Amino acid sequence: MKIGPISISPRTIRNLRKEFRSSGLARIGVVLVVLVLLAAVFAPLIAPHNPRTQTLDQAQLPPLGFTDTEQQTRSEMVNGSIETVTENVTVNATTTYPLGTNSLGQDMLSRAIYGARTSLLVGFFGTVLAALLGVTVGLTAGYYRGRVDDLLMRTADVSLAFPSLVLAIALIGLFSRFQADVAYRITDPLVSTGFAGWFRELVGLPTPMPETVVLPTVVILVVGFVNWVWFARIARGEALSIREEEYVKAARALGGSDARIVFRHVLPNAITPILVLATIQVAAIILLESALSFLGFSGTTLSWGFDIAQGRDYLSSSWWIATVPGLAIVLSVIGINLVGDWLRDALDPGIEGEGGL
Amino acid sequence: MGYGRFLLKRGVQGVGVVWGVVTVVFVLRFITPGSPIDTVAPLDASQETRQRIAEELGLDQPLYVQYLDYLAELLQGNMGYSYISSIPASVQVFQKLPATLELAVAASLVAVALSIPLGVISATRRHEPADYAATSFSLLGISTPNFWLGIMLVLVFAVELNVFPTSGRAYGFGQTLAAITGPEPFFTVATAWLASLFLPAITLGTYFTALITRLVRSGMLDELSQGYVRATRAKGLPETLVRYKHVLRNTLVPVVTVLGLQLGTLIGGAVITEAVFAWPGLGTEIIRAINARDWPILQGSLIVIGCGFVLLNIAVDALYAYLDPRVVAE
Amino acid sequence: MADQNTSRRRFLTATGSAAAAVALAGCAGGDGGDGTETDEPMDTTEGGMETTETAEPTERPEPTTREGYLQRANRLIHDEAPWVFLHRQFSVYGQSDDIEWQPRTDERVAAYAIEPATDSGDDVVMTQSQMDSGLDPQDHRETPTDNIVLQAYEGLLERDAEGAIVETLATDYQRLDETTVQFTVRDNVSFHSGDSLTPEDVAFSINRIVQEDVGIASPQVDQLLGVEGAEVASTDDRTVNVNLSGLNPIVFASFATYCDVMNKSWVESNDGAYINQNMEGTGPFQLSNYEQGVSVEFQRFNDYWDDEAAISTFTINAAGEASTRVNRLVAGESDIAVNVPPQEVSRVENNDGTSITAVPSTRVIFNAMRYDVEPFDSPLFRQAINYAVDLESIIENVLQTFGSATGQPTLEGFFGYNPDLDPYPYDPDMAEQLVEESGYAGAEVELVTPIGRYLRDVEIAQAVAAQVDELSNVSASARQVEFSTLVSQVTTGNIEDKPPWYLLGWGNATFDAIQTIQPLLASDGSLTSYSNDELDRLLDEAQQLPSETN
Repeated sequence: MKIGPISISPRTIRNLRKEFRSSGLARIGVVLVVLVLLAAVFAPLIAPHNPRTQTLDQAQLPPLGFTDTEQQTRSEMVNGSIETVTENVTVNATTTYPLGTNSLGQDMLSRAIYGARTSLLVGFFGTVLAALLGVTVGLTAGYYRGRVDDLLMRTADVSLAFPSLVLAIALIGLFSRFQADVAYRITDPLVSTGFAGWFRELVGLPTPMPETVVLPTVVILVVGFVNWVWFARIARGEALSIREEEYVKAARALGGSDARIVFRHVLPNAITPILVLATIQVAAIILLESALSFLGFSGTTLSWGFDIAQGRDYLSSSWWIATVPGLAIVLSVIGINLVGDWLRDALDPGIEGEGGL
Repeated sequence: MGYGRFLLKRGVQGVGVVWGVVTVVFVLRFITPGSPIDTVAPLDASQETRQRIAEELGLDQPLYVQYLDYLAELLQGNMGYSYISSIPASVQVFQKLPATLELAVAASLVAVALSIPLGVISATRRHEPADYAATSFSLLGISTPNFWLGIMLVLVFAVELNVFPTSGRAYGFGQTLAAITGPEPFFTVATAWLASLFLPAITLGTYFTALITRLVRSGMLDELSQGYVRATRAKGLPETLVRYKHVLRNTLVPVVTVLGLQLGTLIGGAVITEAVFAWPGLGTEIIRAINARDWPILQGSLIVIGCGFVLLNIAVDALYAYLDPRVVAE
Repeated sequence: MADQNTSRRRFLTATGSAAAAVALAGCAGGDGGDGTETDEPMDTTEGGMETTETAEPTERPEPTTREGYLQRANRLIHDEAPWVFLHRQFSVYGQSDDIEWQPRTDERVAAYAIEPATDSGDDVVMTQSQMDSGLDPQDHRETPTDNIVLQAYEGLLERDAEGAIVETLATDYQRLDETTVQFTVRDNVSFHSGDSLTPEDVAFSINRIVQEDVGIASPQVDQLLGVEGAEVASTDDRTVNVNLSGLNPIVFASFATYCDVMNKSWVESNDGAYINQNMEGTGPFQLSNYEQGVSVEFQRFNDYWDDEAAISTFTINAAGEASTRVNRLVAGESDIAVNVPPQEVSRVENNDGTSITAVPSTRVIFNAMRYDVEPFDSPLFRQAINYAVDLESIIENVLQTFGSATGQPTLEGFFGYNPDLDPYPYDPDMAEQLVEESGYAGAEVELVTPIGRYLRDVEIAQAVAAQVDELSNVSASARQVEFSTLVSQVTTGNIEDKPPWYLLGWGNATFDAIQTIQPLLASDGSLTSYSNDELDRLLDEAQQLPSETN
């Protein structure tokens, strides 16, 4: 048993390697996650268009390989009454917009690339927040037991008794009262330094990219608050078992402070299951964010979830508007879940099915 | 611990949870922007009209008075009246509950019926095509947003193929039972009932099918490598008996626990599924209540869900003890 | 008054020409506005829109009629541009070929106007976007509930398909003096329970709305503004007198929109929960089944005072998703789908047995710009925004032509509409120049939009913001909020609580300019984002004059 600050033992690395070599799925997962990460980080370099630029006369173009022939009905107001005219319209895909355009003529590919930023930002920071909250509560409850444990865990019960989605919607209302803007804008370093412009000029994509990145702070806070329970349960379990170990008892006997014992001895031992849970939670939180957007509660306008919500209205006429971001979500979540499986199989932290939408 | 004491303790905890839910909703109510008056009153209502409506709804009272009043009423079994329709919240919530229960039960049935065999096959035929198929399915299942799945199912099976209704709930379970003796032809009613339930149940059930398949698979792999399995095999017990009597039974213990905790997820999924299928259940009601700030309805719905959570977890504990006698020994 | 021999149903069914409607409206009291001539006195040299020179408004003679004042008010608003003028919404319905039916401008669907076209058109189902907020006809004010209660309840007056006023439970109405109007109540009308309609019921119904001690805190009270109470004048003549606090030019238009008549003894012997789950009206249909939040079923009322309804049953259900409503229509589960969005239109048209019908609605969509905050305190800047918006492109591409451009708050066909005003043209160069002149070059603005409240609201806001952002000297973005959040900000009565720039829609069922301009733009309006002494004066003058042209 290893005591001391967090470090990865050679055995763990061996296990990870072994599992990675033997499992094709793990490799697929890593590839998918790396692709999504690259897209998110280098979005201003690789997106063919500015994801916010509208070309209203190029709206609803199908993806490459599809031709859309449809009857379109238009209306005309004649002397206060409306007459409708139906005409045949053929819409051809163009290489300018390889995955088609949405109802405002925005490029679906560029939006999918930029959408990765929002989803990953929410997924990552939301999970970090949930983990910080949950682990603190869980370790405290498990280490002190008794009344503290009872109080904290009953709070967790109340939290579990709330459907997470409903809690999230209610919390979004709460936060938007304190912060008028539910999203916070930060400057995109790749664009503001001029690197993106230089690079795009070089590869022949001179379109200027958005100068800011929207950080959906409220959604991050909300998913963090909603999903802490799962971390709390894991951390508590670990703390409960570890506090009875001889070396913890010994450290206490030597007069170590509680905080020191928790951080030096209990936490490092709980870190493996927490990491594995965190991986799964990133996936769950990305799904939760998309669900919030779907129901119209997210507040951001550049995310996969938002695009699905908009595209849902066009499913019968332009199926790709909802399908492209939908597939983006499915692929990234599959990637993250595969990585989670790989970590779990290799590290065997003994957790199953915690978390969820 | 005696059975009575166990129940008593759980009952007290349950009351605590419901009290917690009520309190949380009141806190939310205090801090959420938007007042129910804004949805009851028209946009151009004068301040006097707003004041009159506030008085009628009791919203002019300080919040702590409203809170204590509500708790007092709740103790007498009164959950208040909808701000929007003036109908008692209990009536409105319990009218919607059967539709959601039906959906949740159907989805759970789908999930259990599919996932346990899938998980078992997957674990016992590891690295065979069946395993890969089941693993891929479950991976897709937990990675697909269910609203997206629902929309795709509607497009394919309702709009294009026209085999299932697009949305809505044709008949309830109760109406279907009544048709056995009633004037309506039972077969027609039952078919319509099942047809309208089918796509929503699949939509809601897929995530859980996938989740349980994964749990059963990995749990079973774990158990199969345990010492006692080798021991029972060595004793010469037939393999199927080993698998199903002992291994599966022990595998289901953590599965049942997780499912008990996932009620919130199930309800959350139901909210979205109901939105996609215009299913007239509690989920639709909750979204409507949130949008309209119809707090008594939201409170009533959440209390009902909270009670469901408590009851379900009591049931889980009981099932737990039945499935894994070791628990009792601890 | 309307030809007494004409059946009300025939009348509602007929798709009369606009001219006929106006003729009727003229005699009935709520002039629909003829759209060709204007009452506004014009300076002879005035040649159209010199909107950039608002600093020195052209001198125009004082109007003499109420319509003239309202038209002048509209011109002032057009010039000062407190709004980004967007469009008039269309009501678009999908309808089955099994029925014959024409939609109405005021967005209300009366099953009485539906006739079967085939054998399966006798039982009609309508799918709208949401269900009722309770069945009390006086305890609501929004279209989905209107559509449900109006099948079973009736008011004294009503509107035909074009919005002209027609009599229902009143056989006659007139002004006795400045503060009194009189209704004569129709005889031989029975409620669904069999009780006969009495003048007492009518007076009670009016008082239930306007007098809190009689009834409920009704949200309709502001629609009957200035109505102080009603009393039976003569039981023998079946007359009811309504007392007003002062001259109310649109009192009959108000009564044609709200104030359903209820059975006094039924109301008094039941509690609110019961009244919200049952119906006791005089309308052509009676309630046969009510499942709160799910569906309402009506059957024909056989003792109706006029011709019986042409269809036997009418069921209303709801689906929030437009695609779901269309799916139900296309699958034959529904006969009328309300609010079909543009992208679903061709699916309805291309399906055998269904088609699209559309009418201009009474709802105008606009972006309010608060006059008291920078940069919107400059009329030049506000005009610039109007020039920067390519309204035609938005209507063409975002609304797929289902909407018409506006240049004033009042809609065509309404009393007070000014036919001389055209929408602002798209002119980004002019916009940039005006921004420079306003001194707010480099301004950053944010448009707040509700999500999912109005047809394509978020997309419209995004398009507006993107077009304004195209200007070299302004940067703009759009932000979406939940509708109830926006409502809580705009209804506080304080202009400071409102976002500086926000998208809103406004339905005006009285067909009179005042009900749009007064609440939204007058200094003391309950939702106002603007203040202008000259506008207030014009409105005051207008309200001192009757609408009736005789």
